Amino acid sequence: MAEELKIGVVSCSGEDCAGGTISRLATRKMMDSIRPDNTVTICLPLFLAGGQEERAFAKEYPTIAVEGCKRACAKRGTEKYSGKVNSVVFVSDLIGDEVAEGPVLSTRDLTDEHRVMVDKVAAEVTKQFDEIMNAKGKDSGARKSSSCSCGCDC
Amino acid sequence: MSTNKKVNVIACSGMGKVYGLMAREAVLHTVQHLCPEQAKTLCLAYIVTGDEEALAGFDNQPCITVDGCPAMCSAKSVAAMGGDIKEELKVLDVMKLHKGAKPGTATELTLEGWAITEEIAAKIAERVQEIQKEER
Repeated sequence: MAEELKIGVVSCSGEDCAGGTISRLATRKMMDSIRPDNTVTICLPLFLAGGQEERAFAKEYPTIAVEGCKRACAKRGTEKYSGKVNSVVFVSDLIGDEVAEGPVLSTRDLTDEHRVMVDKVAAEVTKQFDEIMNAKGKDSGARKSSSCSCGCDC
Repeated sequence: MSTNKKVNVIACSGMGKVYGLMAREAVLHTVQHLCPEQAKTLCLAYIVTGDEEALAGFDNQPCITVDGCPAMCSAKSVAAMGGDIKEELKVLDVMKLHKGAKPGTATELTLEGWAITEEIAAKIAERVQEIQKEER
């Protein structure tokens, strides 16, 4: 049986703005409930702090970068240390610059409105995810547990 | 009295496990509520890009790193980028004091998780105060 294709979804760390929190939660949603079987992630700084195994991430998996702000740290960090990303989702394109560039949010302060934003970003990530899957000729519908490729046994 | 410049408190990215989320939330609680006048946070992903502007965020001020797992991404990345680390805090050290605790998931903390996170934030705030005194 062919090995199941996994796609890397890499969020920025998101410490500078509200868009970062939305980016992180949309990425978590891919792992927790939308495509748990086929989504892997990595903590972005592990490209620098980790070893060769971590730096092989974007060579091993097609990768989607999810950016909380226009600095595009997820794409730039991944491409600097690992390999080219397949696509990029900018949170601000989906929820607007004003909200995305607002003060960084604790998950404790999330409102229903923020949760709708998370869903909207996750929907765009899913769209790009499925396009990559389809291009690879695989079915992304099956469900198993997701995994983190950070090397720390998550 | 505080010095003019703020201590940098930098959490790991923490996407993979609950301890990473606790590190992030503890740092946010510290800089937003416990010592907003004495501490600020920096985005680790931005630091990792190595941009001049990102590294200028260190502001020649001491740093506290807070890591959720043994990979120690925050401490290693801040050190690699030239940050002056005065303290490397580990969420796992605090979790050892709470054996059997169920803090939640990498997506959401439980009430117990929030309580432990506030304990971590209090430790960070204590070090912020001490470092500011040392720097005077």
